[in-house]
This record gives sequence, C-alpha cells and structure tokens, in this order.
Amino acid sequence: MSNKDFTQIYQEWQQQVAGRLAKSPERKERFTTSSDIEVERLYVPENIDDAYMENIGLPGEYPYTRGVQPTMYRGRLWTMRQYAGFGSAEETNKRFRYLLEQGQTGLSVAFDLPTQIGYDSDDPMATGEVGKVGVAIDSLEDMETLLAHIPLDKVSTSMTINAPASVLLAMYIAVAEKQGVTSEKLSGTIQNDILKEYIARGTYIFPPKPSMRLITDIFAYCAEHVPKWNTISISGYHIREAGASAVQEVAFTLADGIAYVEAALQAGLDIDKFAPQLSFFFNAHNNFFEEIAKFRAARRIWARLMRERYNAKNPKSWQFRVHTQTGGSTLTAQQPDNNIVRVTMQALAAVLGGTQSLHTNSRDEALALPTEDSARIALRTQQIIGYESGVTDTVDPLAGSYYIENLTDQLELRVLEYMEKIEKMGGAVSAVEAGYMQREIHKQSYDTQRKIESGEEIVVGMNKFRIENEPQPDLLRVDPSLGQKQKEKLEELRGRRDNQLVDQTLNRLREGAKGTDNLMPLILDCVRAYATIGEICGVLRQEFGEYRAV
Amino acid sequence: MERKIRVLVAKPGLDGHDRGALVVAQALRDGGLEVVYTGLRQTPAQIVNAAIQEDVEFIGLSCLSGAHNELFPEVVRLLKEKGADDIIVFGGGVIPQEDIPFLESQGIKKIFTPGTPTQEAVDFVYQHAKGKAMTFTKPPKQIAHIGIAVKSIDAALPFYYEQLGLQLLGTEVVESEQVKVAFLGIGETRFELLEPLSPESPIAKFIEKRGEGIHHIALDVDNIDERLANLKANGVQLINETPKDGAHGARIAFLHPKAAGGVLFELCQYPADNGGQGHE
Repeated sequence: MSNKDFTQIYQEWQQQVAGRLAKSPERKERFTTSSDIEVERLYVPENIDDAYMENIGLPGEYPYTRGVQPTMYRGRLWTMRQYAGFGSAEETNKRFRYLLEQGQTGLSVAFDLPTQIGYDSDDPMATGEVGKVGVAIDSLEDMETLLAHIPLDKVSTSMTINAPASVLLAMYIAVAEKQGVTSEKLSGTIQNDILKEYIARGTYIFPPKPSMRLITDIFAYCAEHVPKWNTISISGYHIREAGASAVQEVAFTLADGIAYVEAALQAGLDIDKFAPQLSFFFNAHNNFFEEIAKFRAARRIWARLMRERYNAKNPKSWQFRVHTQTGGSTLTAQQPDNNIVRVTMQALAAVLGGTQSLHTNSRDEALALPTEDSARIALRTQQIIGYESGVTDTVDPLAGSYYIENLTDQLELRVLEYMEKIEKMGGAVSAVEAGYMQREIHKQSYDTQRKIESGEEIVVGMNKFRIENEPQPDLLRVDPSLGQKQKEKLEELRGRRDNQLVDQTLNRLREGAKGTDNLMPLILDCVRAYATIGEICGVLRQEFGEYRAV
Repeated sequence: MERKIRVLVAKPGLDGHDRGALVVAQALRDGGLEVVYTGLRQTPAQIVNAAIQEDVEFIGLSCLSGAHNELFPEVVRLLKEKGADDIIVFGGGVIPQEDIPFLESQGIKKIFTPGTPTQEAVDFVYQHAKGKAMTFTKPPKQIAHIGIAVKSIDAALPFYYEQLGLQLLGTEVVESEQVKVAFLGIGETRFELLEPLSPESPIAKFIEKRGEGIHHIALDVDNIDERLANLKANGVQLINETPKDGAHGARIAFLHPKAAGGVLFELCQYPADNGGQGHE
C-alpha cells in the first residue's frame, strides 16, 4: 500500500466520522491543551504502510486495535458503572433510586452468594451468607421489590449472575411485564460466564455440558425476544484476581469466548445474530503499560478470530467491547488510603486501553464492603480522569509508542500460544475439566506470593514502608438479622402462592430439562408462578447433577 | 517414619475465592506439613467431619464473603460437640481487625489478616504443635541444681562456706563426664561445683572458652525417656537423645543451648525410691 492509498482511506474515515458527528456531536467543538494547542481527534504516523493498517489501523475499524468507536471518549466518556448491592431488596432499591435521581442511567446489581449458587435464603447451605456480598433474591417478589418504581424501559441493568442467570433474567423480564414493558425494550447485561466460574470464581452449580446448554438457550431466546440485552460478559476479571498474569487473563478469556461461540454454532445459531451481543469483562492491574497494551491486543485478536475464523460479516460481531474493573487483589489492608492511588493508575490504564465501561474499586475493599465515603471517592477518581486529565481528548493517545506497540505485539503472540495449547486440549471446556487453567493460575499466584514474601516484588505499605499501629478505618456492616427476615418472608410466600401452579411449572421444567427444548420459556413460567430460585435450581440440580471441582 | 503434622485447609460457606486458601495450603506443604484441602463450599459440619476423618491437628479456615462471624465459631462449636476440640482452629480472609477479639473469644486460636506472609502461618502451626505435645507430659517439678564450672573445687569452696554459709553435702566423681562434683544444699535445691578431671572433659572445654561461671541448670523431671522423645519429635535440638547415668543414680540428658536461647538445660530423673532429687 502506498501513502496515497492511505491518504484516501484516511479521508474516507474522516468523512465517515464527519457524517456521524452531524447526528451526534462530540463533547466539545474544539479540544485544546492548557496552552491552547489544538488537540486532534486522531494522530497517525507520517508514513503509513501495510503493516500499520493491518495491525493498528483506524479507530472504529477492523481490527480495532485503536478502539471500537471512531471518536472514542471525544464523543462520550465510558460508562461509569459502579457495582453495588447489599442486604435486602428494599435497601438496594432505595440506593438504586437515589443513584438514578443523581443522573446515573445504568444499574449494576450484586447478588448475595446463596442467590448466585441457586439456594433459597432458608437453605442450610446459606447459613451466614444471606445478604453479605450483595442483595438476597429468593423469588419474583424480591425482584419486584428490588426494581420497584424503576422504569425498566429507560435504565440498563447489569447483573452479576452466572449459573442461575436464566432465572434472574426471567425474573427481570417478568417484572418488566408487570410494568407493561415488553422484553424487546429491555437493555442490560448478565454475566452468564460459567467457564470462568469453574476456573476462578467458584459460583458454579451444574456440570459444564448442561451449563453450556443453559447459556446457548439464553443466546437463542434473547436473539429473538430480548435483542438489546448483552447475553454474556466473558470475564477475565476473576481469572486475573485468582492470580493469573495479563497474558493468562487475555488467553483464558478469549479461549472461553471461543467455547461459547462454538457451543452457539453447534446449537444452530447464526454467528451474526448472537456475536454482537457478546461482551467482555477485564481487570486493570498495576503494570501500567502492559495493562494498556492488553486491551489493544485483545481487540485485535478477537476481531481477527471472528472475521477470519468464524466468517462473521457484521462488524459488530468483530468488536471486542469490554467492561473493566480495577484490581481488587492489588489492594492492601495496610494503609488503605494508598489504594486510592493504585485505583487511579489502574483506571487510567483502562481508559488509555479504551474500555467501554469502568468500575473503580474502593480503598477499603481489602477489609470489607465499601462505605459510602469510599465508594464516592472511587467514582470521583473516574470523573477526575474523565473531566480533568485531558487523556480523553484524543483517540488512543499511546498508539505509536515503540514500547506500547511492542508490548501489544508480544502480548498477542503469547496469548495466541496459550490459546493454541488450549485448542489442542480440545478447547476451553476440556481444559477446564482437566483443571489446566486452574493449575496454571495457581502456579502463577504462588510464584507472585513468593516474590512478595522475599521482597523481590514490593507492595508499598505491606512488605515495605510499613507503619506500626495503624488506625482502623470505619467499615460497612451488613445487618445480621437479614437472614432471619428473609426466611420469614419465604415461609409467608410459600403459604400464600398457588402451590399447585408452582408444582406444575416445576414439573414442566423438569421434563424440558430431560429433553432439548429451550429452557428459558419454562423458567419464565416457574418465575411467574413465584417458584423460588432454590426450587427452580433444585429441579435442575436433580436433572443435571452438580459440578465437583477437580 | 515420623508422622507429619496434619492440617485441614477449608473453605466454609459459599465463597468461591480460594486463591488465598490454595497459596496457604501450598506454603504449609512447602513448610513440611501434610495438608488436606476440602475444596469450596463446605458446611461447618462437613469440615469437622473431614477433620476427624483425616485425623488432623489443625484446621485453617478461609472466608472472604464476610460470613466469618457465623461460620468460624460454628466449626469450633461442632468440634467441641464431637469431642475433637484438641484440634486447633485458625483462619484468614477479608476479616476486619475489630472482629478478631470476638472470633478469638469463640475459640479461634489465630486470625491472619490480608498481607500476612505465609511463613507466619507455617510458624504458627509448628509453635502450637509443640505446645500440644507438651500437654501430654507434666512440667518439670523444680530446679534440681545449678551447675557452676570451677577450675578447682578446693579453691572455690571457701566462698560458699564462709561468705554464704552453705553446707557441703558431699562430693562425687562422674566418670562419664570426667568431672568431680561438689554438692552444696540451698533450700529445696543445690549448687553443683564442677571441676574438670581431664582436658577432654566438657567442663574443661567450657572453662577454656568462656571462663569459670554458671554452666547449666538441671530440671527435675518424670518420664525422661518419653519427654526426650517428645522434644525430639517437636524438633528441639538435643545433645543426648537417650538418657545417660549421672550423679546420685540419676538418669540425665542435656538439651542443646540453641534450643533455649543459649541456656544449657539438663533433665534429671532420680530413682523413684530416692524420693525426688535425693537429699543425702
């Protein structure tokens, strides 16, 4: 390709952007530095060659190394989406409504562990855990309370739910029905990524095969009935938290992504119908430049996979859209205010890497759930980066840095090597079943621990620059009587609902699980009849069995 | 072969974060302990059953979900209920400092907070394993004597007679140690003045290196054989692994000064018919 060709391509791109801007303008008409130097939308090298166009290219264009949108944060900042949820549905609803009144348009729901593992609050397995790490949802009634007075056609809701994702999505749809909102209008995300649960996060219920079926049932159902929903958020976040390196995070996440694509294709779905609804979830850790390069490499690898290997035609199928959360495991319990600085650097890396949405951790998360003060500082951190730093004024500002481009290439190379290894094992599902990723991550995490303990790796305030007799910060406490209240509510519901209808719908679900029908409509019926999450997952547990870790 | 100390590492409740548990388990293994890991999602009852079945001395609990105040004490309670409360329970995870006094009052021996080096957990287990072993034997009854190295008993004695007014109870030659011993009574116990009989005597070497002065403290004990075996099993460095004959028909053994911060201790068991340390 000669320079002239590139000039032409670049002009076309600029025209395209100009066309878009007519409809939705950028945040400002003119971006400048403090010295009034005009900041261009995009900086490109003087001499463009084929290699540049193939590997780096233009933002909003294949292979998306420089970002999935042409104007990135000049058009709109990333979505600041803070994950929250605590105690009862009433309390969480109050918090949500407050946040919406403050102008937030996206909600992000954290569920407690019994909900995430498909147990009712009165199950003996739920002892001590009710309402601890998120809100407790037992039945549609709790979901009605959680979403009361929230217009579901206007907000987008992200739900961190995996093994019982169908049940919670069904509850969400059922609440919308009661509000008179049809499912076509609903937008949001379910995490729904079971493979990383086996690898790193631990809230699995069923074995891989039926779990993959539940997931592809959701893909198929949503493609038809809930088209604006992100049906999965393929997550490297927890893999990284469990101790993986940046390369492992990308490699295992993309390998999982391939497994979901393969499963959906096998279930007879069309790639361009479900692939645009796939989204990703990454971590942002401390090694600043490597983290930035990680996002760029992942976008390039995914785009090529989808276009070249799976012949996807819709550009939306090629785009690696990602939510990012800063690294919880990098936070220290010692001198917790230092964590604000860590979070700032990590958030900046995610922004320079081109994330679509971001959660910044609170300084006290190595100690407990964040207090309101800490959560506010975390949000302010994003706002300062977004509104004060100027890094958002030009697209992919670090492109062309010898170091960044080299890191991007090297990460890509190493990720592909790992992915090939997994491919040879028969793909991510087989590798998970063999415990391969789990072992690789453990090796890495133990190695990191050794380095920290030997002082080879320095963690400020923890193994160096310590202070004696640190003051203890104020921490958030979850109401310990919540478990009891939730139990009483359940008992009362079981006495009041139409139990015959509940049995009928559960029996139909059982029959469906034995066969091959899409389970989403059956689960919706159970939910509408006020069957509890424990009852629904109980039926599926009996039919599918439970996963036991290797 | 010696049996290794056994530890059950367990994840109570529904929390799926096991990075910490796995790292601690491996560190304990690398530290020479035998570790059984339960895997995720164990109820306190399952953990207690596993601990009894696996015949462990310790349970290490890990919880990051905030449910520690409910789950940890329940493990201790069930251990008591099953009569297995000799098993020591420790824990870690996302646990605020202010919860630690409560957990300790419920019988959790130690809580490790985030950022603790894993070696501390290894050390904790060894220290408390020793503590457990010693509960099987009674503490020493009293100080049997204090040994004082002297170049010449004849030259040293006048101070004890004339200045302190103590009484000489007798003298004896201990062939095995190449020493002559003079006994001076003081209350329930004694001083022993030790004079080397040859340059090979340990006392001669002691004087050569450090000069005259306090040489050792002897403890009056029961069951010297069992006690030595226990000390050995617990990794305490010994000079004599089996007892040898000492003065007054006692069976004696020395511990290595490295085991006791530079103090040389001697264990003495006197013949039963001698009524303890044998005041002549």
